[in-house]
Parts: sequence; structure tokens; C-alpha cells
Amino acid sequence: MDEFDEIKICFLDEAEQLLSATEQCFLDLEHKPGTDILEKIFRLAHNLKGSSKAVGFDGLGAFTHNLETFLLRIKEGKVVLGPEVVDLLLRCNDHLKFFVAELRANFAAQVNSEQLLDEIRQHMEEKQPDKVSEVVAPVVVTASPVVETQPAEILPEMRTEEPSDQGEGEASHEEIFVSQPSSQPSAVVAPAQAQAQADETIRVSLTRLERLLNHVGEMVILHSVLKEQSNTNTSSFLKKTIHQLGKVTREVQDISMGLRMLPLKPTFMKLQRIVRDTSRALGKEIALEMIGDDTELDKTVIEKLSDPLVHIVRNAIDHGVEGPEERVAAGKSAKGTIKLKAYHHVGQVVIEVADDGRGLDARKLVASAVKKGLIRPDAKLTDDEAYNLIFAPGFSTKDAVTDVSGRGVGMDVVRTNVDQLRGQTQIETKLGQGTCFRITLPLTLAIIDAMIVRLAKERFVIPLHHIYESVQASEMKMQIISGRGEVLLLRGENIPFHRLSTLLGRSTAGGLESGTALVIRASQGNAMAVFVDEVVGQSQAVIKPLGKEVKQIKGFSGSAILGDGLPSVILDIPELVKRLYPNLLTNGSGNRAARSIGA
Amino acid sequence: MTTTLDQRYLTFSLGPEGYAIPLLSVREVIAVPEITPMPFTPAHFLGLMNLRGQVISVIDLRNKLGIKPLTATENAIIICELQSGHLGILVDSVDAVLTPTADAISSPPEVKGSLNRECIAGVFRHEEKLILLIDLEKTLSGDDRKAMSKPAVAQTQSPNKVA
Repeated sequence: MDEFDEIKICFLDEAEQLLSATEQCFLDLEHKPGTDILEKIFRLAHNLKGSSKAVGFDGLGAFTHNLETFLLRIKEGKVVLGPEVVDLLLRCNDHLKFFVAELRANFAAQVNSEQLLDEIRQHMEEKQPDKVSEVVAPVVVTASPVVETQPAEILPEMRTEEPSDQGEGEASHEEIFVSQPSSQPSAVVAPAQAQAQADETIRVSLTRLERLLNHVGEMVILHSVLKEQSNTNTSSFLKKTIHQLGKVTREVQDISMGLRMLPLKPTFMKLQRIVRDTSRALGKEIALEMIGDDTELDKTVIEKLSDPLVHIVRNAIDHGVEGPEERVAAGKSAKGTIKLKAYHHVGQVVIEVADDGRGLDARKLVASAVKKGLIRPDAKLTDDEAYNLIFAPGFSTKDAVTDVSGRGVGMDVVRTNVDQLRGQTQIETKLGQGTCFRITLPLTLAIIDAMIVRLAKERFVIPLHHIYESVQASEMKMQIISGRGEVLLLRGENIPFHRLSTLLGRSTAGGLESGTALVIRASQGNAMAVFVDEVVGQSQAVIKPLGKEVKQIKGFSGSAILGDGLPSVILDIPELVKRLYPNLLTNGSGNRAARSIGA
Repeated sequence: MTTTLDQRYLTFSLGPEGYAIPLLSVREVIAVPEITPMPFTPAHFLGLMNLRGQVISVIDLRNKLGIKPLTATENAIIICELQSGHLGILVDSVDAVLTPTADAISSPPEVKGSLNRECIAGVFRHEEKLILLIDLEKTLSGDDRKAMSKPAVAQTQSPNKVA
């Protein structure tokens, strides 16, 4: 890759950011049209045009140029800013995004923009250009001295193309596009940008971050070793220093852990667009409220969360919020509301998607599930179990598959992804008043709350979020089912009982005199109990990946370094059980709601 | 002839035998730390160790090659950088860094052994001792890597590792 290619890639990264910023502006424009937003869009479009030509993406520059012309007309009030115009602008934005993606794959890519350009021209021709000269005159004068701040070769290029793209009577505008934004960088643009970028950023590769985290983790361990040693040492100076080192270490750990965190804002912005497009397609009026979009989550969590949120929001628009007539008939305002809310709650992040629609009807859900053959007709479900049916694969209340929904895949994705993120999904709903989906997630995937257990001389880590409760050996009520194994009787429930030693292929099956049974409930699959010799303790553990040599082994989800600096493997108990009894879980590994009915 | 880094080899002993790997693939040599065994792994997989915050797999190359360990010798772990990442290799002793000339290295002799011929890149003589240039990637790749994830193999192996 030569240097110029690097510049091109750099530009494409920048262009992507610019385009998500403009998308947000277009959406804002619809709600509260104002010249300040238009100015901002104008600046962004101009930036894009200037730099795309500078790196040689002329096709992209030409299209942006036309878009700029159109924007100017809107700004001058010559094109009325209605929903169709915003629609067109958004489609132009999509087109640009697509263009950028194509260029990323191939620097020489050309994308046909004629159709959109035609539409733009149509919109512009509806209004006759008048009073142009008044606007132009003052601007052009100020323009000439400042133009030098732009790469010099851009200007002639821009002008040469105008005649081919524009209709007659437009030539006088061209000066403005070139000059107006660039004429003001010192006065207007600069402060605005400074505001947006008050916190300067740099890009760092994840590998480098991970290396930092590794060393910080090691530092924490070394500190605890030091601290232990200092107990036998009488030097107060040493003790004091170690104490201070501890403070600094914790601070460094907090900061470095925070480096992987990103705000939810871009994810929420994407949803805003989806709400707009989907509600228009369905003829519904829906306002989106966003609260807490500055809440930060681990990068990997955010990536995995994007799809589930899209599905929940689409679901809320399609099934939750009623059409305007139905809403008015029910005594609600014609315009529906979807509330996106993110906040911290006891060391976890909660994301809520709430609508004020019709709510879930447990009886209808059950009827649909019966019809789809997901549950038996005579099944008795509690309301909560019925609500959870919507997460079952293949479940849909729709008979026809539409663009928006009906395949019964979406909500299944929600459950699966959230599960992988070690999170939980909850539904709260009131018939006629609305539904709230609540996703609770750990702050980061890099650290887990872990229970450390002992088996003979070995220690293992079990993720705490899997463990529902623990039962001491002396309080266990056991039942042996001949040929099927042992069962733990717990408050009327019969829970399959496994010894960790058996699960790990050890021959010695010890007695049950002392030890602890941990009740594990993964959200997919049956409850099970696993018997260990001792619960050593609980702590937070940094997950370390296993080497390639052992990565494929089922039943281990990684490793963690324990407090004394020794590594230990993290057990995935359901996988271990599946490994030992391949047939045991296949029946019950479906959705929990379906399972509890005895499917 | 000038020596470049690429021609330097780290020699080590496995039992009575001498082996060598390119020095560039070696990250460091450390004393044997405490190693956490891992279930469902073959006998030559010793377990996991903590190298300054990084969890690294450790392999007993003697066991892998079917060489009887000499109990009296000191042990060391060579941390290698392989394509798949870092790997610790338990050896009996680390001996020297040697720079055999290109014409001193000959193709491996035709003898039957536990080791596949392609795992030996060449041999050279040093003080009357034959030293084998071992290709770790090839030795540890292929069927062996797969065997590690096979439950049948793993389960029969794990009990004796615990003992």
C-alpha cells in the first residue's frame, strides 16, 4: 500500500463519520427545521466534497456537489422542506454511504447516481430561481482571499464540471458552493468544529489496548503479592508506599478498562433512522425519545447489541404501536412514542425500549404459538411465560411475511445475542398501554464475576451469572433414577445432578458428604446442578483467551488468572454436560418458555 | 561469510538428544513455573501458565516425541512465537546458540522414528553430537492439533494427568 492509498483509506474512514453525522442532521431537520442545522449539513457536505476530490474520488465529489446545490436551494427557502425532501436527502445519504463502502472495496469503483440526481433536479425545477444575484454578490467578494485554505486544484475542477450537471440559470450559484463555507472557516466553522471535537481523540488498535490490559492485570496481581509480603515486614515506609501503589494501580486499571468503552449514541442514531423509515412505510406516526445515549459499553457488547435493538424497535413499530385511527379510538394521541433509555444500574447497563402501543396479549400469543406448533394446545402458561414466547425461534403472530416482520427470526436473534453477551431480557407489558423490553448487560465482556470452585487440588472458574443458587451437601435431597442418573430435589423441582469430576472425565466419583451443589440455569436449556468439592470464593476475573492448541475443546470458555497469579480455566457447565451426554440436552435446549411446558 | 540473525539456532536437549530451533522464533527462556493442568487434553499438553498476564499453553516436547525424560537434568521452558501465537515448550535443558554454516546443515537421515520426516528441517554436527533442526509448526500441527480437541482421546488421557 503506498502512501496515497493510506490517505484514501483515511478519507473513507472520515467520510463514514461525516455521513453518520449528516444522517443525524437530516433527521433533526425534519423535527425542527432551522438554519443552524442546515448550515451544519452544508459544512459537512462541503468537507466531503472537498476532500473526496483531493484524494481523487471524483465520482463521489461530483455527486456531493449536486447534493450541495440542492441543500443550498433548501437553505435559501427555494425548495420546501417537506417529508419527501427529507426522504430524498436520506436516500442520498444512503447512496453516499454505499458509495463509500464500494470505494473501500475498490478505489476505482464507480456508482451510478443518475436516478437520484434526476430526482434532485425535479425537486429543484419545481421552484424558479430568483433573487439569486443578491445572495451571491457579497459572498463572492469575501470568498477569494480565503479560498487558498483549500487545496488549490479543487476549485478549477469544480467549476469545470458545473455545466454538465446543472441546468441553465444556475451558474451563479457555483461561486457560493465553493466559497461560502470556505469563506467562513475562521469565523463560523472553526468554533463549531472545536465544540464538537472538544475532546480530541486518537485511534488505537485493539491489539495494543489488549496488551496494555494484560500488563495492567499483571500489575494488579504483583501488587497483591507485594501487599501480602508487606504484612511480614515492619517498615512503615514500605507499607505506606505499597498502599499508595495500590491506589494508583486501581486507578490505572479503571482507566485502562474504560478505554474499550464506547458511547451508545451511534447505535441509537441508527435506530432513529429505522423508526422514521419503518413508521412511514407502515403509515404510522411515531416519535422517538432517546435518553442516556452517552452511556458507555464495551466495544464488543455494542457491536453485538446493534441487531437485537433493531429487531426490538422494528417489532415495537410493527406490533406495538397502533395505527393513528386505532390510537385515537383508544383515547390516545394519534402519534405514538417509542422511548429508548440507557442507564447504569448496580454495575450493569440497562437498555429499555418502551412503546405506548397496544401491549402484549398473553392469550393471543399462546393461540399463535399453538397454531405454529410451538406448544401443545393444552399447555398452561403463566402470563410471563406467554410473553417470553415471542423470543422463540419461528414464532410470529403474523400470518403473512412482510418487509418489516413475520418470519419469526428477529426476536430469536434478540434472545440469542443478549445471551451471548451474558445479559438478560425482560418484558413488561400492560394490555392497551404499551410494552417495555429491558435488556440488562454487563459493562464489559473482558471481565466476569466469577465463582472459584475446587475439585480435589484443582481450581476452576464458573461464571457467576450462570449460577442461580448453591446448596450445601448436608441440605441436598437426592433421588437416584436407575439408569438415568441422580436428581436433586429442590422446592418441588427435579434438577439433573452432575458431579464436576464426572463431567471432567475423572474416574473417582467421591461421596456427597461434603461439598456444594451449584444450580446452573443458562437461559437456553434446562436447569442443572453441578457438584463441586468446595466453593473457594467469588471475585472478578479478567477473561484471557485460550491458545489455539486448546481453543476448540468444548466446555471451556477461556481462562482467567486467579488472585495468586495462577491460571485457571473457565468452565461452561452446559457445554460440559452436553459433551458427556450428547443426547441429554438436545430435547430441552430450546426456549425456556417452551421447555417449561414440557416440549 | 557474515552471520545474519536468521542463521542462528537455539539448541536444547530432550533426554539424550539434541535439537535446535531458529533463534528468531524464540521469545524467551524461563524456569518452569507452576502449571495448571487442563482437562480433555492429550498427555503431552502440560497445561496453562501465566506469563506476565498472558495465559500460555505449555507442551512437553519429550512426551510428544516419545523421548524418555532424564530426571536428573534441569528443566526449562522455551516460549516460542508460532504463527498461532505463543506456546511454551518444556525441554530438559537449553544449551547454546549456534551458527552452523549453510553447508554444514544436511538433509535428515533416513531413519525410522516417531517423528515425521517433514518435521525435521535438517541436521548438523556439533562437537560430535548430531543436532536436529525441528520444525515446531509442523510437529504440532495437523493431526495432532485435531487430536487435542477429540473428546475420545482426551478423556482417556486426562486421568493420568491429574494423578
